[in-house]
Order: sequence, then C-alpha cells, then structure tokens
Amino acid sequence: MLRYSILFDHWDMYLQGFTNTLKASVLALIGSLAIGIIIAIFRIAPIRPLNWLGAAYVEFIRNIPLVLIVFVFFVGLPAVGIRLDPFTAGTLGLMVYTAAFIAEVIRSGILAVPKGQMEAARSSGLTYLQTMRYIILPQAIKIVIPPLGNQFINLVKNSSVLGVIAGFDLMYFGDLISSETFVTFDVYIFVALFYLVLTIPLSLGVGYLERRLAKTR
Amino acid sequence: MIYFHQVNKYYGDFHVLKDINLTIHQGEVVVIIGPSGSGKSTLVRCINRLETISSGELIVDNVKVNDKHIDINQLRRNIGMVFQHFNLYPHMTVLQNITLAPMKVLRIPEKEAKETAMYYLEKVGIPDKANAYPSELSGGQQQRVAIARGLAMKPKIMLFDEPTSALDPETIGEVLDVMKQLAKEGMTMVVVTHEMGFAREVADRIVFMDQGRILEEAPPEEFFANPKEERAKVFLRRILNH
Repeated sequence: MLRYSILFDHWDMYLQGFTNTLKASVLALIGSLAIGIIIAIFRIAPIRPLNWLGAAYVEFIRNIPLVLIVFVFFVGLPAVGIRLDPFTAGTLGLMVYTAAFIAEVIRSGILAVPKGQMEAARSSGLTYLQTMRYIILPQAIKIVIPPLGNQFINLVKNSSVLGVIAGFDLMYFGDLISSETFVTFDVYIFVALFYLVLTIPLSLGVGYLERRLAKTR
Repeated sequence: MIYFHQVNKYYGDFHVLKDINLTIHQGEVVVIIGPSGSGKSTLVRCINRLETISSGELIVDNVKVNDKHIDINQLRRNIGMVFQHFNLYPHMTVLQNITLAPMKVLRIPEKEAKETAMYYLEKVGIPDKANAYPSELSGGQQQRVAIARGLAMKPKIMLFDEPTSALDPETIGEVLDVMKQLAKEGMTMVVVTHEMGFAREVADRIVFMDQGRILEEAPPEEFFANPKEERAKVFLRRILNH
C-alpha cells in the first residue's frame, strides 16, 4: 500500500517541483518550436551556407547527451563569464536540445508537401518566404502534429534533467524528499504521477488536434 | 516576347535541351508537341525559371531570365502558369487560391482582388464554386480554377504544361474551351499538349521536339498535312491513328 502521508506531508515540495517542471516545459516548448522552425527553414532554404549551418546544428546537438548540453549552460558558460541559475541553464539546455529534433520533424513535414505547391506559388510571383508562410507551412503543420506531439512529451520527461543540476523541478524535489525520509519507492511513484498529470493531457491534446485538423483541409 | 538563343540544359550528364532557338511573339499561340521525355516541359519551365538553363540566352519580356541581378519575382508576375496536376492550394478556397498572389504580390486590396477573381471565375464558367475547396471540384473544374488563378495576375504570357493530361476525357473539353477563348482574346500562350485537335485549331505555330531538340517549326495546317521530318511523321502517325 502506498504511503499517502508522504504525499501530504511534502505536498508543497511536490507542488513547487511540479510548477517548475511545468514552467520549464512550457518555456522550452515555445523556444524549441521557434528555434526548430528556423533551423528547419535553414536546412531547406535554397541558400547553401544556411543549409550547412542548419545541418551542423542538428547533427551536433542531437548527437550529444542532453545532460552534457545542460552542463555546458550550467558550468560551461560561467567559464566565459555568463552565470545562469540552475533553472535557467536547464531550461535553455532542454530548449536547444529539443529544437534539433523538432527541426528534423518540421523539415520532413515541409518536404512532404508536394513539390507542385512550391512551384505554383513561386511561379505566381510570391517570394520564397511568402510561399513558406502562406502555402507550405500551413500544410506541413498538419503533417507534423503527431511526431511533434511525441517530441513535446519527450521534452516534458526530459525536463527531469533539471534535477541533476538542482533546478528545483519535480525530480529534484523527489530526490530531496527521498533523502529526507529514506523512502524511495513511494516518493518516486508520486513523482511519476505528477509527470503523468502533465504528459497525459498533452497526449490527449495532440490526439484531439490531429483529429480536428484531419477534418479541415 | 520570348527569345531562346542556343539554349542548352543539362541534368547532370543528361542533355535535356540541345541548341534551342525559338522566338515567340506577342499574341502568338505556340503549341509544343513531341514524344514524352523530349524536353517539352523543361523548355516551358525555363521561361519562368522553374528550371535554369546551362548555357545560351533566354530573354522573356525584355529580361534576361538567367541574369543573377534580375528580380525573378518581378518577371514571374507577368507570366501565368498552368500545371498538369493543377497544383491548387488544398487548404484554401477557390477564391483564396485566386486572390492570394494579387493581394500578396501586387498588393491589391482584398475587395478588388475578390472582384477580379469573380470576373475570371465567371469567365472560366464556375463562379458558383468560389467558396468551395479544391478537393470538392472535378479535375476539369480544378484546372479552370488554376487558369483563373493565373489570369488574375493579368499576365502578359500564359504557360500551359500538359494542362489536360491528368483529366478524364469528359472534362478535357471544358478546359480546352477556356484556352481557346483565351487564345482568341490575343493572349501570348505557350502550350505543351498532346491534344492535336486543339493544336490544329488554335495554334499559330507548332513546335515539334524530340530528344531535346526542336526538329520542326511550322504553322499547324502545314505541319499536320505535310510534316518534313521523318520523326515527326512517325509521331503523328502513331498518335493520330489509334
């Protein structure tokens, strides 16, 4: 039987962890989506140096463990005089890391839009960016919603990396409560449940969006 | 209006266009025919730089198409293009499809762009479909929308790249009728097609291509009655007697 007293006695710690995990996730989600779109456009724009830059970003970032990237922000940047608190460093690391995956998802979505769409739009005199904005991206979004949902769920779970650098997230407080009470199993079950409170609605939301977009053209 | 001089194009090692020389005047309707893979579509797509040329000179509307310093979007607004697979924007209504470029490229106000769009939809015979989505239309209707979309930019030249090849036989006629009407009104048209009836009736000139070369250029009555090139004779025999 789970010891619920653990949950009630440490409710405010759990809640603070939950709030910070939510905050880090939302910030990293918005940021990584923005960076991801830009990198994806870099990768497919008809400008060679941008292609290289985009490819370099993706290959470099996605092939390094997330923890290391977070360390770069947390202990690497102070070496050059930029000091970040653990929460900020962790969130930035998470953002930069996830952006590489989102860029790939969006790139494949853009490439899945038939070539004739770009040709029709460009031959009517629209610029490359106008074509992207009005023709390609609106169609690509529908294609990328399911894989993007996966990335977002991964992001929420990966935010537990903040715990490693004392980022005051759910995982951090889980560790803390566990070391105070010498209870492990029950403490982490509650941590897991808090993560589910975030990820399951996200999962359902993506599914809903997917069905709704399937109905529109 | 359109001037090819010694134009060559390669895809890697593949020589698609070989020493193309062709002049198309304002108001002319030129129909390009030939077997598949002969370079017809590529030739037409060079005119608005959907394809770049490898060497030679190509001047359209007094602009060197492949000059790095020209504004290609400026040139493209004067050249409408109709594709084999229509390429309508599936997430937009018919009206939005037609008004997009006039509003975003020419900066025409929405109200005026809509009026122009309706005018051309009347012209192609489907004003009642203005608020439909492309997926709700037949192939012939979609292609007529595509033509209206091209015309709404009030272009000087219209390019047609096999506009009826993806249509079922029943709807080919409605698209050809629109094109005939357009030709009568004096539009400069370059048409790649396998519709010999259309070519014979509407073209001012037939250009016959094979293996990347222009083999013959003649008015339709002359070309169909008495083709000079052996390859053209074989081609005509095959496609007219089936």
